[in-house]
Amino acid sequence: MEQELREIVRKLLQEGAIEHFIGYAEGVEPLHTTPCFIEREEEVGALVWSPFCPYNLARYLHQMKNGAGKVGLVVKGCDARAIVELVKGNQIQRERVVVVGVPCQGQVDLAKVEEAFQGAEAVEDAGDTFLVTVGEEGHSVEKERLLREKCFFCKHPISFEYDFVLGEMSPFLLDRRSELEFAMIEEMESLPVEERRAFWRAQFERCSRCYACRDICYACYCQECIFESRAPRWLEKTTTSLDNQTYHLIRAWHMVGRCIDCGECERVCPMEIPLRQLYKKVEREVEQLFDYEAGMRVEDLPPLVTFQVDDLGLVI
Amino acid sequence: MALDDKPTILIFACNWCSYAGADLAGVSRLEMPPNCRVVRVMCSARVRPEFVIAALSRGLDGVVILGCHPGDCHYSEGNYYTWRRALLLKGFLEYVGIEPGRFQLRWISASEGARFAQTITEITDTIKALGPNGRRRPQEG
Amino acid sequence: MKAIKKPHLVEWLNRVAQAYDLLGPVLDGVVQFKRVKSTNQLVFDYPNSVVPPKNLFLPQTECLFAFRREGGSIILEPAGGLERERVLFGIRPCDAKSLLLLDKLFNRDLVDTYYQEKRRGTTLVGLACPSPPQRTCFCTSLGIDPLSPEGVDILLADLSDRYLVEVTTERGEALLGFSRELFLPSAGEEKPRREKEKSLEGIEEKIDSLWEDDYWRELSRRCLGCGVCTYLCPTCRCFDLTDVGSTLGGGRFRCWDSCIFADFTHMASGVNPRPTGKERVRQRYFDKFRYIPEEYGVLGCVGCGRCSRYCPVAIDTRTVINEIIARSTK
Repeated sequence: MEQELREIVRKLLQEGAIEHFIGYAEGVEPLHTTPCFIEREEEVGALVWSPFCPYNLARYLHQMKNGAGKVGLVVKGCDARAIVELVKGNQIQRERVVVVGVPCQGQVDLAKVEEAFQGAEAVEDAGDTFLVTVGEEGHSVEKERLLREKCFFCKHPISFEYDFVLGEMSPFLLDRRSELEFAMIEEMESLPVEERRAFWRAQFERCSRCYACRDICYACYCQECIFESRAPRWLEKTTTSLDNQTYHLIRAWHMVGRCIDCGECERVCPMEIPLRQLYKKVEREVEQLFDYEAGMRVEDLPPLVTFQVDDLGLVI
Repeated sequence: MALDDKPTILIFACNWCSYAGADLAGVSRLEMPPNCRVVRVMCSARVRPEFVIAALSRGLDGVVILGCHPGDCHYSEGNYYTWRRALLLKGFLEYVGIEPGRFQLRWISASEGARFAQTITEITDTIKALGPNGRRRPQEG
Repeated sequence: MKAIKKPHLVEWLNRVAQAYDLLGPVLDGVVQFKRVKSTNQLVFDYPNSVVPPKNLFLPQTECLFAFRREGGSIILEPAGGLERERVLFGIRPCDAKSLLLLDKLFNRDLVDTYYQEKRRGTTLVGLACPSPPQRTCFCTSLGIDPLSPEGVDILLADLSDRYLVEVTTERGEALLGFSRELFLPSAGEEKPRREKEKSLEGIEEKIDSLWEDDYWRELSRRCLGCGVCTYLCPTCRCFDLTDVGSTLGGGRFRCWDSCIFADFTHMASGVNPRPTGKERVRQRYFDKFRYIPEEYGVLGCVGCGRCSRYCPVAIDTRTVINEIIARSTK
């Protein structure tokens, strides 16, 4: 698959069809990749594909707003939802992007690997299992054991035209019922309000307001972020639990109808705040109240720019 | 505004209906608890959810949005947008441990002075019962 | 050299904790250095904390003074200092080295009393690094010894059933006094040795030659512009001062800031001398490998690896250093 990808990109560059290509390259550490920007044919050899490609490269499409040319990128099915949303939000023109779809069969959670196999050097996708290499030995592992949480509920856009595909683009299905997708939300909701408050206060206490969650998010593209605004000044740089609460709640609110659960925010948080447990609540409310899912169809109208008179019958 | 233990409640009232209703309540000398601070907005849809989030996170004890009855919005449909936002916001605030009742949305028309007074009284009682929302001076951390 | 059996270490710390505020590594979501009420909270099996212990001397959010209006005047209340002297247990040699650099930075023309007071009031009990190190560690490449007691009052080295105890200051010696009987002369065992690798000779000139190089633009394409590398860096120390409150009262706060943030050099006129990620990323590496060495005679990086480990897009400082060396014309 890597060879096919490299060849596609090489041709695109050779033909001058794109200015650069955004893909995954090997990282310095084992079990890591890093985003890369390929501008010349000679560089395509750097492109890789593995179960350690969590980055939603659509995040880097915002850089093309200043230019006029075309940009290519490789996306997993989940990432394609971001492209749908960016087109929907008039942030990019679909014609300016060359999308190469890669049939991801699950991404690996680094923490889970490190816990189960200290010193693992490689993990390969072996169809129904992952093959973990530790030293000389290979271990075959059920995918569930190492999978990123979000991958259990893989969703692709309902209709999306990839310019190239490296195989069949279909959601990666495990035997997990979709009702379980919001199980952790339901669990939180079943707790008494004081416990919820204590839980979230403790999480926000730990936050160092590094803004990694905001900066990795494909959907955070305001030219002047609300948190950078000086007039009004919503937040100073003070990091009390309640200041941090303001930050997280406002950002979660801004994700209404836009969060595609790529899970990147939670992955990048150095303080391991369970951000998906916040954003999936927003995602679920929007689904339950307004029957809306982000990133599925370009024609869908975002829930907050419209209304139905029937809304008044909705109760929560 | 001194920081003390009595609940402080922020009310956004739309100019055409609910603020007029509030005015009527005042002119009619109806008795109401003094804990509310009213901010007039042209339409309830002017209220950004960020106002509610920031207010409750900074420790105000309650935030209320008052708008026109559905169908009566001076701008035809503003209050429908408000309703959608309020639905989402309500569930979301409660999820992170802000007690139900601290954020409310009510419809009040220009002629409903008594209803305004009654609503304010009822909401103030609810929020008093919930206790202070952990308001702290910033320098106390 | 002395030695202390592992179970006795906790006993000693318990006695120390009666007279001092004990700060040490705890697991609070992630490993952090915090004040502990009981030694039960301490963890011993950790490579390093996520946030470096600089936050105990330069807190992320620090109230410098409070102000309030009373009648016609404004009353200022300076922030209280340390209530008790502190002992920080578990600091690693790289972080200890970083404090030595911060000391210089906060003790120039004006002495930063907030930082200095905390430094003066804290005894450091270091923990030498285990072997093998974390994959992201590279202190030895910068000439830093992960077994060195430089910068701490006492250094403990793990010898499986006991710790080797190296005391370097009178302050450290005094601390042993809390349980002197538990500290036995060491059985002459050798302190484990760690090979020191190259130190970055001439890195200042090398990076200097790359001011106009395209590498910084390339790097900045990946860089998100978040604050992870700076906030988690033991030598990063930029801060912002801000008054929070109202006309009735509030406080003046010092909070961490990051040169990587887009608005860091954004001025009131609207001008921003570091307008894009390229200038900001370049500035960060120049600060570590050019400005600090020139000004203070030591590298601005201690090789703790946190920036590489926690960077959301896996930008690795070791790669940057290697690129600087490879591309340099010096």
